[in-house]
Amino acid sequence: MKRTSSPYAVRMGFGLGISYLFLATPMVRDWMEASMSRHMLVQMPLLVVIGIVACRLLPAHWQNSVLARVGGSIPCVVVALFASSYWMLPRALDAALNDPLAEMAKFLSLPLLVGFPLVLAWRRLTLIGRGFVWTNFISMLAVLGWLYIVAPVRVCNSYLVNDQETAGWYMVIASVLLFLWWLGTLLVGGGVGPDKPDRNGTGTKLA
Amino acid sequence: MASYTYTATPDQGAKAGVLAYLVVSAVVLLLMMLFGLLMRMEQAQFISIGGLWFYKLMTLHGAGMVGIVALAGASIMWHFLRQYVELTTSIFIANLVIFLIGVVMILASVLLGDFHAAWTFLFPLPGNSMGMWSQGAAALFMGGLLVIGVGFVLLHLDIARAIIKNYGGLGRGLGWPQLFGPDDGNAPPPAVVASTMVTIVNLIGLVVGASILIMMLVNLYVPTFEIDALLAKGMIYFFGHVFINAVIYMAVIAVYEILPRYTQRPWKSNKVFLASWTASTIMVMFIFPHHLLMDYAFPKWFLIMGHIIGYLNTFPILIVTGYGAMMIVYRSGIRWDMCSRLLFVSLFGWAVGAMPAFIDGTITVNYVMHNTLWVPGHFHTYLILGMVAMVFGFMYYLGKPDENAKDSPIDIAAFWGFVVGTMGFTMSFLYGGKEGAARRYAEHLPEWIPYDRLGSYFAALLIASVLVFIFRFLTRLGLAGRDYQRASLARSIAT
Repeated sequence: MKRTSSPYAVRMGFGLGISYLFLATPMVRDWMEASMSRHMLVQMPLLVVIGIVACRLLPAHWQNSVLARVGGSIPCVVVALFASSYWMLPRALDAALNDPLAEMAKFLSLPLLVGFPLVLAWRRLTLIGRGFVWTNFISMLAVLGWLYIVAPVRVCNSYLVNDQETAGWYMVIASVLLFLWWLGTLLVGGGVGPDKPDRNGTGTKLA
Repeated sequence: MASYTYTATPDQGAKAGVLAYLVVSAVVLLLMMLFGLLMRMEQAQFISIGGLWFYKLMTLHGAGMVGIVALAGASIMWHFLRQYVELTTSIFIANLVIFLIGVVMILASVLLGDFHAAWTFLFPLPGNSMGMWSQGAAALFMGGLLVIGVGFVLLHLDIARAIIKNYGGLGRGLGWPQLFGPDDGNAPPPAVVASTMVTIVNLIGLVVGASILIMMLVNLYVPTFEIDALLAKGMIYFFGHVFINAVIYMAVIAVYEILPRYTQRPWKSNKVFLASWTASTIMVMFIFPHHLLMDYAFPKWFLIMGHIIGYLNTFPILIVTGYGAMMIVYRSGIRWDMCSRLLFVSLFGWAVGAMPAFIDGTITVNYVMHNTLWVPGHFHTYLILGMVAMVFGFMYYLGKPDENAKDSPIDIAAFWGFVVGTMGFTMSFLYGGKEGAARRYAEHLPEWIPYDRLGSYFAALLIASVLVFIFRFLTRLGLAGRDYQRASLARSIAT
């Protein structure tokens, strides 16, 4: 696999490290965390993406070995679901803003407990497993967004009600777009997975 | 250029899972029909069960019928689709188990918890019972629907997986390369095209349905999380209408697969066929506003869209299927037996049943007719003489002892009893609607009662006929699992 060849992986890994540190700089953190929408829908997904890319930079046999050690794809999916659900809770957002330890936990857990295990599991999941992850994530995002829109109180002490409402709308819109995109991949591509005969289950695509 | 010739394929018996689906469907269908008869007899003042029981039965009848026809349709789809793609039996069985868990939750909610807010569970009724039922009963009902939805999502994901594995994408499952490019004759068979369409629309419908159910559950326990009632109604009807529409698209696979076996003529997946299914894949998701035309608070464009798409969606698949069936049967010398009769009459029921909806989908008519018995007249025709006839046709097909087996006079009498009973029963609804009889009323005005009484007699005839169908199927269960030639060859081929 070209992607795992050393110079390429080193260059990518270096770039990834720079991106991670860039996200962690006080200036960028302050700007991202000043708005609930940017906090939830930009910073957190970027941290997950960093975990995804980092995992995919590892050689395939390393990924297989880690996957075997942690017990297969289902534990990985469960960990990713629980970790991502936790960071959807309003009080988790407040904690990240007020407590440096919680902020550090966010910066570590989103790449390591969401992005990383998802990539590990993805290679072994059939379309049913992937469909479950997608439909679960999309419906959670939509319902959470809806709850943010109609919540009668400020759910986060650190953000204003209008910010919360805007974040809710973005979540609903994002869930609709994600759903359409996912369905689109099924219509024209079909997604890749262990069942896909012509691609031999490389799991290199995320849909 | 594509050429179409019939290639004989062996008749496969049903897997145990399919038979389990059909047995559960038959039993629940009969029970729900009996509930329906009791409601009609209450309106006719033949019996007096009271308002509470009327609405409890109405809730069970509505939710039960929607669920059970979906289960029966899924069994037909799965039986034929697995002959083209590799489906997962364990997921098929899991769906049945999950379905039964959901049914128990709904039964407990209605029978023990007195929930009776109709299958539509329109917001904010489930949470505002004024003491008629508890919060727990409402949650159990909505939770039951949610559980059933999860089972169907799993089933459809497995179908999507299998179609994608075999054909390379759902677009290919709909035959897009042949539709938008040259028709090389390699388009997927009708069973695959129909299953792909159903999978796409049901996945979308179920996700929307699950979202509104979860929001209503949140609202039930934390009412300060307010929901826009109009949005909730729109989402419920989107989910409900897509789901109930999809059942006939699953069941029609029996027509596509079985009728050609009788006449030895192929059912062509040609460009017109593929175009109609692709068009309906999109339109079936925008047709539901014809149930919301009286909600003047909806944006005008939304209602006009419902009106126009309601008109357009009535025809593509119906015409292609009806015309296709006539072309298959015309001068084929088909030998009519219970299966071929029921499948052929189902297309008549589908066509006739769609017409009252077409009329009711006209905004000016809708203002007057929508809250009358006209609408139950529409969907009872479409479902009983259309979809349910396909299910019974499939059951007779599976249980047919051999290709030359003759039907007993009792079966033939039951067939005519079914047709006449359904027509009479649904006409009593339609005529009652025309006369202004309101729907969902436990008590009727004296002027409406003659139609209710007539409807009850015809419903009893229908149920008696269905009893014969079910009895025959249950006594032939042993045959239904075996592989042998069932369809009688058309005279032109047999002689």
